[in-house]
Amino acid sequence: MGKYNYRVIDSDAHFMEGLDQLVNYFPEPWKSRMIGGSGKDKASIAGIYPISTGDRSVFGRIQRDEFTEMQRKAGGFTPEIIPDVMEFLGLDAINMLSQKMLSFSRIKGDDERATLLSNAYTDYMLDEVVDPSEGIFTMMPLPFQEPREAVELIDRCADEKGIIGGCFVTAGPEPPFGNRKYDPIYEAAEDHNLPVVFHAGGGGIDEFVTAGYEKFIETHVLGFLMANQSQMTSLIIQGVPEKFPNLKIAFMESGVFWIPLMMQRLDVEYLKRQSEAPLLTKKPSEYIKNMYFGAQPIELPEDLSYLRQVIDMIGGADRIMYASDYPHWDYDPPSTITELPILSEKEKKRILSGTAEEVFGI
Amino acid sequence: MTQVPICDVSELPPGERKIVELDGNSIGVFNIEGNYYAASNKCPHAGGPVCTGRVGHELLAEFTGVGLRVKEYFGPNIVLACPWHGWEFNLETGAHLGDSKITLPLYEVTVQDNKIFVEI
Repeated sequence: MGKYNYRVIDSDAHFMEGLDQLVNYFPEPWKSRMIGGSGKDKASIAGIYPISTGDRSVFGRIQRDEFTEMQRKAGGFTPEIIPDVMEFLGLDAINMLSQKMLSFSRIKGDDERATLLSNAYTDYMLDEVVDPSEGIFTMMPLPFQEPREAVELIDRCADEKGIIGGCFVTAGPEPPFGNRKYDPIYEAAEDHNLPVVFHAGGGGIDEFVTAGYEKFIETHVLGFLMANQSQMTSLIIQGVPEKFPNLKIAFMESGVFWIPLMMQRLDVEYLKRQSEAPLLTKKPSEYIKNMYFGAQPIELPEDLSYLRQVIDMIGGADRIMYASDYPHWDYDPPSTITELPILSEKEKKRILSGTAEEVFGI
Repeated sequence: MTQVPICDVSELPPGERKIVELDGNSIGVFNIEGNYYAASNKCPHAGGPVCTGRVGHELLAEFTGVGLRVKEYFGPNIVLACPWHGWEFNLETGAHLGDSKITLPLYEVTVQDNKIFVEI
């Protein structure tokens, strides 16, 4: 145990991989393209994958001295940084998600790049980073652009001990994730007992679905939320939980207040348009109560009884996992859970580690 | 329980319905494919005239295989949709198709001496 008197599993932290770290894991001709194309100048490597825009630090207001120091000590975001991250947060186990996967939605052409990154990231993490004995795990990025390749990656790596899930970014997929096109991915994940985690994205000021917003706060508030909402809607109405009843589904990074909203809104329309969701055998909210949710960034209303009610509405602590999102600007330390007076000791344990143990088998 | 006469059988052929006032309640009486049904004409949702709505078969779907379009088809159940908001009910059971805890009150229909009766 770390600094908290609880076992703490972080269900969503980020590995800030650089392409220079992954380059040896890319197949030819991509490896040579990246090395040859860049020379000593890393600019062209950086240009291969899109990045999100908008200043996360609120123009210098958010300062991460501890993270700067960790990176200085580790020589950048290298595998050596992870013990320091875990110690800083007080973690017993960490689930690290690919940073570059978060911008898959911005890949508008040459969609092979998503598959390349997913495989290279997974291989790099397995070779050089994950260490189940130290509680260091990752999830495979799943390239929604190429479902067949996603299935191959799952078949190839899902049973590795350090791999505890497959991860989609929820911004950008067209068609959305309820479409039959993705069925083979869900089938493969179900076969391997691999949870599929739907991680929010699409909050950057230039990647938001509507152009013209002026501040990052606007697109970040909306983008993450809307991306998760749109995929949850598609998954449920298209009957993915009916088609793949043993598939574990989790959503990350939109807090928890959006969940009861979706339950109520989906139910009220379902009662009026049930024939448009004919695979369903129960109300949409009942499926949501079988899903899992990363709590970050958890909303802390002045009257915490509202948060208590939200937790109860979505099925209680059994559905919720602690997630830090570290090192991102809006990360939650475990104290957001340990210090919550509305939770019982049992509920704190469940959120801090029990739910993640159930979802990820760690 | 009272058997209230509605009309002669000949006055309610298949595909027809009558909306009648019985004991202060509006009730719809249907002949659907030769079978009779009677239901409250007040939708449990917002009070809409549910018995004036569309009658049809329940739309069902089958997951026929990974990656295949879900096969949609009409099943045997006769259903009634409220014209106000589309709440849809099974006319055999009264159950809402999306939530069986919600029910539309149904009434027993009998035929004696070529007359149709509704039990209230």
